[in-house]
Order: sequence, then C-alpha cells, then structure tokens
Amino acid sequence: MIAPTLNAYLAISVLLFAIGLIGVLVRRNVLVIFMCLELMLVASTVALVAFSRFNGTMDGNVFVFFILTVAAAEVAVGLAIIVALFRKRQTTAVNELNTLKN
Amino acid sequence: MTLEAVKFAAADNLWSAIFPELLLGGLALLLLALEILLPKRLHAVIPDVAAAGVAGTLIGMLVNLQFTTGAMTFNGLLQHSTGGQLMRVFFLLCALLVFLLARVSLARQPMPRVEFYHIVLVVTATMMLLAQSNNFVMLFVALETLTIGLYILVAYFRTSTASLEAGLKYLVMGALSSGLLLFGIVLLYGVAGSPSLPSHTVEPLNYDELGRFLAGNPHNFLASLGIALVLAGIAFKIGAFPFQIWVPDVYQGAPTPVTAFLAVASKAAGFAVLLGLCGPGGPFASYGWLVTPALTAMAAATILFGNLAALTQSNVKRLIGLSGVSHAGFLLLGVVASSASPHAIGAVYFYLFAYLIASFTVFGVMVHVAGADDSDQQLDHYAGLARRNPFLATVLAVGLGSLAGIPPLAGFMGKFLIFVAAFEAGARWLLAVAAVGVVISIYYYFGWIKAAFFDTWVPPTDPAATPTGTPPGRTVKVTLAVLALLSIGLGFYQGPLGQWLTLR
Repeated sequence: MIAPTLNAYLAISVLLFAIGLIGVLVRRNVLVIFMCLELMLVASTVALVAFSRFNGTMDGNVFVFFILTVAAAEVAVGLAIIVALFRKRQTTAVNELNTLKN
Repeated sequence: MTLEAVKFAAADNLWSAIFPELLLGGLALLLLALEILLPKRLHAVIPDVAAAGVAGTLIGMLVNLQFTTGAMTFNGLLQHSTGGQLMRVFFLLCALLVFLLARVSLARQPMPRVEFYHIVLVVTATMMLLAQSNNFVMLFVALETLTIGLYILVAYFRTSTASLEAGLKYLVMGALSSGLLLFGIVLLYGVAGSPSLPSHTVEPLNYDELGRFLAGNPHNFLASLGIALVLAGIAFKIGAFPFQIWVPDVYQGAPTPVTAFLAVASKAAGFAVLLGLCGPGGPFASYGWLVTPALTAMAAATILFGNLAALTQSNVKRLIGLSGVSHAGFLLLGVVASSASPHAIGAVYFYLFAYLIASFTVFGVMVHVAGADDSDQQLDHYAGLARRNPFLATVLAVGLGSLAGIPPLAGFMGKFLIFVAAFEAGARWLLAVAAVGVVISIYYYFGWIKAAFFDTWVPPTDPAATPTGTPPGRTVKVTLAVLALLSIGLGFYQGPLGQWLTLR
C-alpha cells in the first residue's frame, strides 16, 4: 500500500477547488453553480485536515466543524432563495435571470 | 485535556467584554418571543422595542467607552482595540438608522416585519465581533454569519422578482468570495504550521502568531498566494475593482434599507477587517512588497471605475451603489497610506463616519421618494422634489454634497484627511487619480441635485409611472435634520472626535 503524502492530499484539494471555481464561472444552471460553490468549501476542508495531520496542529480539525456548520447554513438559505426564485420565474438558467438592468 | 486546562482556558473568557454583542443577541431573541406572546394588535411595538434596545446599547457603549489598547480575551480570539470600540459604535448607529428606514419601507410591503429586525440585530452583533476578531476562525465564522444574514435581507421582499434575483446574485458572489477567502486562510494555516520552515508556530490561525511567522519568512510563495486569496475575498465584500460586478445589480434589487446597510455597514466591516490584517501591526505588515502594490492598483482602478460607471446610470440605487464603489476606492487609499503615515487610520475612521452620516441622509430621502416597486427608483422621479417637499430636497442636497466632497461639509474633511495621509505616505500619482475621481463624481452628484431642484415637473403621460412616495413622519424629519446638520457641523468643527482620530 502506498502511504499518502501531504502533496497528494493537497493535489486533490487544489483539483477540487479548481473544478469548483471553473464550474462557477462556466456553468449556466444555478443549482450546478451552487454545487460548485460547495465543492470549493469542501476542497478547503480537505487541505485543512491534511495540513492539520501533517503539521501536528489541532486547530485545523476544529476549524473543519465550523466550516461544515457554515456551509450547511449557506445551503439552507441558498436553496430557499433558489426555490422562491424558481416559483416566480420558472427557470434556473442564469442567463434568463436578467430583470436587473440599467 | 484535563480539568485544570479547561479551567485555565475558561478564565480567559471575559464575557463582560462582549456585553453589547450579547445584549443584541438577547434582544433579537426577545423580539421573536414578543411576536408569539403579544396579541396581534400590539405587534406594532416590536420595532420600537428593537430600536429602544439598540439605542440603550449605544448609550451604554458611549458611556463606558474605554480606549484599552490591545486587551485580548477568549484565548486570543478577540482583541479589544480602540478601533474596534469605534467600529462597534459605528455599527450600532447603522442598525438604529436602518430600523428607521425599514419602518417606512416595510410598511409598503405585505411582509412579516419582526424577522427583518431580528436579522439586522444578529448581523449587527456579528459585525461588532468581526471588527474585533484576532483569529482566522473568528474572522471566518463572523464574516459568514454576516454574509448569510445579508443574503436573507437582500432577498427579503420575496414577492418581488428583483429582490430575489439580487439575493441570488449576492449569494453566488458572496459564496465565491468566501471560498477564495477560506482557501487563502487554509494556505496560510498550512504554511505557517509547517515544521520545516523557520519560526513556524503551533497556533497559525492567531493573527499575532501568523504575523511572527510571516515576518520570519518574508518571501514565501505559498504564504503570498494565501495573502492574495484573502485579499481577493475581502475585496469582494467591500466591492473593490475587479470584484465589484455584483454591486449595481444587488444594490438595485435589495430593499432600500438593506441597500443602505450593505453600502455603509457591510463595507465598513470589510474595512475593519482589512485594517486589522494589513494595517500597521497586522499580520500582513511584513508582506508590504505584495500588499501595498496590490491595494494601490486596486484603489486607483476602483476610484476610476466607480465614478465612470456611475456617470451613465439613471436608476438612483445603481448610481449610489457605483458611487459607493468609488468611496471604497478612497478608503483603500487610506489603507494603503496607513503603512507609512501615522494619520491614515484616523482618517479612514473619520471618512467612514462622514460617509455613514451622508449616506443615511440620502437613503432617508430615497425611502420617502420611492413607491411600491422598490427597485424602480429613477432620477426622473426626483423632478420637482424641491417644490413638492422642500425639506427632503434640502436634506438630499446636503447629503449628496457631503458625498461629493464639497467644502465645508463633512465628506470634504474626510477626503481631505485621507489625501493628507496619502501625501505623507508619498502616494503622489494615486492622489492624482483620486483628484480626477472627485471631479467626475461632482458631475453625477450634481446631476441628481439638479433633478431635484431645477427640473420642472411635467405631468407624466402615464400617471402610474411616477410613484407618489411617502410623506416623512416627525421622527424621520428630526433624524434627517440632525444628520444633515451633523454633516455641516463636522465639516466646520471636527471637535475632540476629529482631533483624537487624526492627531493620535
């Protein structure tokens, strides 16, 4: 069995973060964008746990719990807004949500 | 962990140090309880209870204002500095004025009222904690509570498509900026805790420990990447170029009191964080080679973009949003100067207070001119305001004049102090850009004043097009008059406040 190194964990974390960031910028469906945003938070969590394990500092593990809580709150509020908007406009495509213009 | 260790840690939890925040939290819960307990006809007192509670907390804060420098509580999570005390007063003032605007604005909508006051109270308390945070966990949790509260507030008029859409845009942009900020924090955490580097630390999330590590490794690549990501995340919150794309849409769609809250309180919270991180003594101070050029370029671009984009706007909410972007640029100028000029931090605080007073004067007028559709507030609606309501028009002129920086109003003194600090710090070409920005801003602010005073009102072809507005009540009139007089008064005489802020 190959022992995972810090670099392997960080590579996964950066990959997840990049997928999330590109997804937010490229995708057009609000729900997919929202999932990508959560992916970015998860990527940070992976790196945090890896750093915490390999550096021997415990703060990172505790921080993860705060991040999970915050992400859950964000999902609750975010989905509520998306559902309310879908009821109004019957669409989840960002390029059709363009009421606000000068 | 043994019991002794827990006792030792708990001895540091000085709950009385965050008494104002606890009061606001308790008040927020009390409002929800009152809504259940009181009969329906008495529900009108709940906003009064909220306002009275905040006013009481504010008076208590002012009476007990102590300028203890750098006392730390909660194991270094919070640091009670002079700046933190000032920002607490600032946020309490914001909450009080937002309540006043909300009373007018919410009355026009078929919406539950109590939750609005509840969320504003919670958000205010977290902003007060944010301004005093001394640890990245505290920073992140407070910033997220603030942002999530604001998502709800922006989308609060849920029967209006504009409000919901603004909420969604703010949600996506806010979550993106949080993601960047968090990844930056994680990188800093990882690199500062790495045992292979000199002066590594076991508590890398603490500002002071991190600052010590960064001073020991002044050119670490990962650390500079982390700092850049953290700065990008904060730049989103303050609406600095190139992260300002959300500002006009969100400001237009959000209910007007929330727009005021975003424009003043949320921006000030971002600057409190930025000063804590990049100001003298902050953890990023030793990375001046990265932070100063980045913030300088950002300030110049923000001032120019905000002012140029505001020129073409016909919706006053978008206009005030983009002019707010340029104000963020002027404040960034002060932050840049803070590394070299001892007066810069005082100047930034003075500017924030002048901006608070002037902005709430303008928003106070906007709330009364607006009709049932909160996102549709055109410059044309202000035609003939001076004839219809001379009081509102006069107050509006004072507020806009102060925002534009016309002497002798408070806004002028704010800009002047910032420019003096920037001159001392030697940022000459940035000053030139800022001066150009001021000139451009006078054009659109005076376009608004001209609409209110000199455009003759023509009966609209479609009578439904122009909203009728709400006549201001007595409390609002007194408050707006006091704010306008403060704008004039602070311009002539800064008093002990200005002296203390700038000559420290």
